[in-house]
Amino acid sequence: MLIRRCSVFLAAAALVAGVAACSGARAGSSAATKTLTIANALDNNSFDPTQLNIGNQMQYWSPVFDTLLKRDKDNRLQPWLATSWTYDKSRTSLNLKLKSGVKFTDGTPFDAEAVKANMTNLAAGTGQNSYMTRSIGTYQIVSPTELNLKLKAPDPGLIDYLASVGGVMASPKSLKSPTVATTPVGSGPYVLDKAGTVAGSTYTYKRNQAYWNAAAFPYDKVVIKPMNDLTARLNALKAGQVNATITDTNSLADAKRSGLTVNTTPVNWVGLLLMDRDGKLVPALKDLRVRQAINYAFDREAILRNVSHGEGSLTTQIFNAAGDGYDKSLDARYSYDVAKAKQLLADAGYASGFTITMPESPGFAQYNAIIGQQLSAVGITVKWVKVPANSIIPEILSGKYPVAFMTLGSQSAWQDIQKAVTRKSPWNPLKAGDPALDKLLAAAQTAPEAQLPAAMKAVSKWLVDSAWFAPWYRENSVYLSDARTAVAMQAYNVAPPVSAFSPKE
Amino acid sequence: MIRFIGRRLVACAVLVVMIATITFLLAFSSTGNVARNLLGESATPDQLAAKNAELGLDRPLLAQFGAWAEHVVRGDLGISWFTNEPVAQAIANRLPVTLSMVVFAVTLTALISVGLGVAAAVRGGWLDRVIQVLSVAGFALPNFWVALVLVLFLSVTLGLLPATGYVPLSQSPGAWAAALVLPVTSLVIGSTASAAQQVRGAVIDVLRQDFIRTLRARGINPRSVLFRHALRNAATPALTVLSLQFIALLGGAVVIEKVFAIPGLGSLTINAALQGDVPVLMGVVVTLVVLVVIVNLVIDIVSGWVNPKVRVQ
Repeated sequence: MLIRRCSVFLAAAALVAGVAACSGARAGSSAATKTLTIANALDNNSFDPTQLNIGNQMQYWSPVFDTLLKRDKDNRLQPWLATSWTYDKSRTSLNLKLKSGVKFTDGTPFDAEAVKANMTNLAAGTGQNSYMTRSIGTYQIVSPTELNLKLKAPDPGLIDYLASVGGVMASPKSLKSPTVATTPVGSGPYVLDKAGTVAGSTYTYKRNQAYWNAAAFPYDKVVIKPMNDLTARLNALKAGQVNATITDTNSLADAKRSGLTVNTTPVNWVGLLLMDRDGKLVPALKDLRVRQAINYAFDREAILRNVSHGEGSLTTQIFNAAGDGYDKSLDARYSYDVAKAKQLLADAGYASGFTITMPESPGFAQYNAIIGQQLSAVGITVKWVKVPANSIIPEILSGKYPVAFMTLGSQSAWQDIQKAVTRKSPWNPLKAGDPALDKLLAAAQTAPEAQLPAAMKAVSKWLVDSAWFAPWYRENSVYLSDARTAVAMQAYNVAPPVSAFSPKE
Repeated sequence: MIRFIGRRLVACAVLVVMIATITFLLAFSSTGNVARNLLGESATPDQLAAKNAELGLDRPLLAQFGAWAEHVVRGDLGISWFTNEPVAQAIANRLPVTLSMVVFAVTLTALISVGLGVAAAVRGGWLDRVIQVLSVAGFALPNFWVALVLVLFLSVTLGLLPATGYVPLSQSPGAWAAALVLPVTSLVIGSTASAAQQVRGAVIDVLRQDFIRTLRARGINPRSVLFRHALRNAATPALTVLSLQFIALLGGAVVIEKVFAIPGLGSLTINAALQGDVPVLMGVVVTLVVLVVIVNLVIDIVSGWVNPKVRVQ
């Protein structure tokens, strides 16, 4: 009887050991092929070039599609498929010289016709980034390796877009294919391995053997796994199943304890959009003193320290610190001063306060109580309207609210201006404007390259002085990697593209 | 028996139609922001209107439901609004994942809970008390907590089993089994605790019946009394509990799939619900309802086969 029981026990132990032995290789453990495995917080939405997104989803398309320009680790634009770019004096004619000898993976040559096909296709599309090539009026093909873009009006953001979705190049033959959303045909360093790919679960990329710059991409294979749950991503990284993943500031202490490498980049600004600058919904907000009072009402330092664990830098500006509109001297413009805020409200005739309506999203639960408390301390009452997490952006953009909390990504200054400052900007839903601002924007739009930073800084100063927004701080986006993987973070994107990863020797 | 199965099939069909209709009405009544979420912040009102027309959201609700139902009858569940993947393909990719987990968990639950329940009912005494304490403890522990603790110790600390993910059986049977050990264990602890108590109660009830006393009085072998007579009569409530466990485990799998980043139907449902991806949500709901209905039907048939009294009822 004892022998029988022992046999059963040994058999069970052998089974567990066998299963454990088969539990899968750890990420990148194979010596023969260098594999990069990353966990992404979102699933891929599409490989259709008109539907590509930046942010997390950039990781899915960056292995397969080349862009015309590329950003280096210092955020400078570098030649890629376009070897040079030159504006004329009026900045309405952009000349692009293209790399020769590059082919898409279906054999189609990359040339000026392909660039035109991709740019017109994007502009005609309905994707989130179709605006990136809509400033181009006509295309003049000088030769297979040279193209002239005539703009409808100067577009200071166009060059930046060429290193993003606006510069993505896919085989012209694939653009109208019925499988364009699932079968990418690019000229990038990798090709999608359909056999190793299951949508929603695993996306596997293998080397494009004919790639023109293979040395810049050290991995033979890239695997991207969509994992929505932050705890699952962290566990996968700690257990060695993935090499890197995106996380948030709440997991920093755990990550550091676990010996993971913490990589950060400040992309999103956190604070309030004071959208009703013309006082259409709440007349008080038309008064500059009221908007300035709101800026003085928040203890930015305490919020940064307690909510974002000190991961970020205090700011009063919406422009990215790596871009040409950022002016460090403006960040000290508003300090936490309740007495001053109350005095400004009293001077504006609102000593007894007023009420504003704000959308309350469960995604921002950690901020809502703070906003209510700090505004109430200066006499402003917040009436919250509950909004589902997936509707918060459409709700804010609907123009129903005078003020809203948001964490908003920032890229180049002109891109941010288009996003939130002009009378047509989506994040200016009540279409507020000011003749003085219009003049500054016009000057920035037509400024020669050398004068562009000064012109953008002038816009930033006007926005800060006029308290169009109430930014608190720029929060660090946190990206974790294991001991074998180096990551070069990018200034304009929360998740690095595949080119930013390399094995540590 | 055939009439019995026929009646059950009609009831099942009515149930599927009712649930699909209710879900459709609930899901499609909140699609106001889908176009904006798809096209992004810079979409113009004209582009939003065009997208709504493309998705068919500009039509009356009844017309939308009619079109959807017509496609479903033809076997076309539509295309995901957010990932462009055909819904049928998304479900076909994910159903085996969830079923692997749930079928494994139900089988283990059945084996362990019957063993423990019968042992507790027949032996009584200290064994009964220990099993009852363990059952209460197992029932009280939330499965996501069990899952997190298992991952922390067995995966992150000891590196014995994978912390996340799923490997198809066809790719590697060993890795497939390894990927399922922790998720299935997390599910089985709670479900076994509950089912073992039910089996114990059912067996005790049957063992107290007069016919068991008569069988014992006639000197029939106690093993035969237990396995041929008592367990057969206790099978109906036990099977009902197992069918309920199957449905509960499908629900539990939603949480467990999230903890282990398993690409099953649960995670698909959560993502579709959060995004407002109605075609996917509807496809998953219909699939799950059909699955639950099939399980109930099978349990009904098995109960009727094991115990003819059920057929009469």
